Amino acid sequence: MDYIYSILVLAGIYLALSASFDLIIGYGGLISIAHPIFYAIGAYTAGLLAVSWHVPALPATLCGGVLAMIASVAMSLPAIRVAGDYLLIASIGFQLGLLQVIKNVQFTGGDAGLSNIPSAIDGPFRSHVFAAISLVLGLAVVLLIRWIVRGPYGAIITAMRDDELALLALGRNVTRIKVVILALGSGLAGCAGGVYTFYYQYLNPSQFDVLQSATILTMVVVGGMGTSLGPMIGTVLLLGLPQAITFLHLPPSIMAPFQGILFCLLVLLFIQLRPQGIIAARRPQT
Amino acid sequence: MLLVLEQILWTGFANATFYVLFTIAFAIILKVVRLWNFAQAGMMGIAFYTMYAMVNLLNWPGWLALVLGMTATVGAGLLIELYGLRPLRRRHSSSLMFFIYTLIFSELISYVLMLLFGTEPVTLFPSILSPVRIIGGIAVSDWDLTAVSATAVSLLVLWLFLRFHRDGQFLLAVSDNGELAELYGISAQRAYLVAMAIAGVFACEGMYLFGTRAGVLPTTANDLMLFAVIGTLLGGMGRLFAAAAAAVVLALVQSYSVLVIASKWQSLVLYTFLFIVIVLFPRGFRLPSLQRRRVVQPAVTEAKA
Amino acid sequence: MTEVIRLESVHKRFGGVVVADDINLSLAKGEILGLIGPNGAGKTSLFNLISGVVPLDAGRIFLGGRRIDRMPLYRRARAGVSRTWQHMRLFHTMTTMDNMLVAPRVCHGESLTRVLFSPGATSREQKDLRERARRLLRRLELDDVTDKLVSELPFGQQKLIGLARALMHGGDCLLLDEPMAGVEGRVYETMQSVVREEATAGRAVCVVEHNISFIKDLCNRAVFMANGRIVQTGTVDELLGSSVLAELYFGA
Repeated sequence: MDYIYSILVLAGIYLALSASFDLIIGYGGLISIAHPIFYAIGAYTAGLLAVSWHVPALPATLCGGVLAMIASVAMSLPAIRVAGDYLLIASIGFQLGLLQVIKNVQFTGGDAGLSNIPSAIDGPFRSHVFAAISLVLGLAVVLLIRWIVRGPYGAIITAMRDDELALLALGRNVTRIKVVILALGSGLAGCAGGVYTFYYQYLNPSQFDVLQSATILTMVVVGGMGTSLGPMIGTVLLLGLPQAITFLHLPPSIMAPFQGILFCLLVLLFIQLRPQGIIAARRPQT
Repeated sequence: MLLVLEQILWTGFANATFYVLFTIAFAIILKVVRLWNFAQAGMMGIAFYTMYAMVNLLNWPGWLALVLGMTATVGAGLLIELYGLRPLRRRHSSSLMFFIYTLIFSELISYVLMLLFGTEPVTLFPSILSPVRIIGGIAVSDWDLTAVSATAVSLLVLWLFLRFHRDGQFLLAVSDNGELAELYGISAQRAYLVAMAIAGVFACEGMYLFGTRAGVLPTTANDLMLFAVIGTLLGGMGRLFAAAAAAVVLALVQSYSVLVIASKWQSLVLYTFLFIVIVLFPRGFRLPSLQRRRVVQPAVTEAKA
Repeated sequence: MTEVIRLESVHKRFGGVVVADDINLSLAKGEILGLIGPNGAGKTSLFNLISGVVPLDAGRIFLGGRRIDRMPLYRRARAGVSRTWQHMRLFHTMTTMDNMLVAPRVCHGESLTRVLFSPGATSREQKDLRERARRLLRRLELDDVTDKLVSELPFGQQKLIGLARALMHGGDCLLLDEPMAGVEGRVYETMQSVVREEATAGRAVCVVEHNISFIKDLCNRAVFMANGRIVQTGTVDELLGSSVLAELYFGA
């Protein structure tokens, strides 16, 4: 029974991650693979604050989100100021480089990971409460992004995707808009990291590597970029498919790559046949 | 002490060879197709494991494996262009789609390779040792000599091809101005295929050299790509041989850094380098020399990422 | 001061081609300056230099006495440079109204913090902007296409929307890049009268055009450019009467 609740916790987290990534790549049209590292920064910050300074869960999570935001500005500002393409390269360097640091530095626990993170909630209903919190967070992220995108800021983001030069010539500071979008998306991912930390109470760097990028990317692309429902569909798919595969009773060494192959084929199929994803955005995205 | 430095110089230089090949493969696609070809990691994986299978499962000789490996890699590259990139281009897809496509392609290949070959590191041949002779106090192995000469010859052949062969010149024309080239009857589509083929050959050659020297995993190509990316950036987009030179410099920097930095921080050195390059030399490191042509920089640059 | 924009010794070369050779120009409030010349004379390049799409090699540009040539594109736009584009550059997945709403020199909607933390002020501003946009669109006879996607509208209306957007932006200096190209009849007249009204209201307008009758009807002064240089300035009649110009324009 507990098992179902842990799936729900993951669902909420993945929903937050995919919706915030969709803000960046779907609405903002920005190309970055560094989402998992901001998730990691949020998770590790929250975890370290709790372990070393006994900071309670909520402020620790918020700090994680803020630190993730700051880190994303450090990554994006130099790159975006040059030209759009360099963001991708900077994000690769940031994702891979910072992960190396986490893996090798003492105080994050290195390769062995960070453990003994105090639980924020105890008692027989722990899983239920966490599931509720996680799902609420996920939905809140989706709704926040939906609200922003439907307002005046959303019009500016769309204009930026349509014709950046024309928007610059109307006086909009496009660099700042891009940096802000990335910061918001990364901050939300950081908060999701906090939820993960306090539920599982153990962090390992391998959780946050480039393979996670592909996972989150899959959720967004297949679900449908630039929509509110898309990330939800993507999340259900991503959590549902592995469960479905377990019924095949494959040995674990085959399971992982098999799952990976399935997801990659799914993305490639969608790109070729239905690039807008399962839920097509009202306005053309690709 | 000097001898140690000289040894590191030579070995570093020899080890730079496969990095140079990977960099050229990446840089030429960026130059001609204007694409950040992250599918190259997948191509490199296909290259190595094809050769590995032929040598270790079919017991075929190394040279045959190399030839067939190149065929397979070139084939993969052409398929990527024909069935992946061309449809995207026809649909006027955004850079995002190209990026996702190339990235996911490489991911797919590494998962397939994981399934087929497991997660233990393997080398192309059972032994990675080769005869060593001492020249001027420095240990020079047969591998070193093969690697350096093969790479030098490959670069020369490429240069000659670009300079004197029609297809090579078409590549340069298309990379300069694709639309203008079309007006003169030069097929951009053909140029893209030729560029992919060249990338395939260089990628496979690089994997042969690397795989006869060190263990390879299905995920190794991803790490090797970092060099290619930084080298290309440092050399400046569109400057192949500058990128090759940059790769050599990077390899040497990494070799020498062993003296001062623990090996676990090695890759961090590279990432830091990457960041410095982006912040300080985004258009590549340029020596203050005469510029043949100044490229017009628009307010918003466009390359398919 | 009545001088809105001034160029001093502006110089720019692309590769081997000089597109702006020691350009000195100034525009006052209420002036409509015509910029004519053969293709490749450097007219659009001049607009690009003024608006900031490309940086100067040498020279200075002043807007209302402030030096703007060192500012990035978006700052110059905020300072008061409005322009239209040869290829329109409308936001093609958006409606007419939305195209207008992202255009004003200063808008709250651009700042995410303001949108998030002062929703009241933001929605009030949006209301005002919508009103302003509606009035502008009405002047240009575009009120019935307010909520249509711009990509679905006919060419002439798209051109008018480009002008409307630039006017919504509201800069003191208005640069119009071939506004009449491919346009005729009703749209032509509407554009003419609106531009004249804007100039009367105090804007400085500079128009690049090949349509000589438009220049004659509208502009009080004209400048003839060729090979990146200003060959002659004066009233439109003076320029058109000059034989040197006829040779340059129609000759080899």
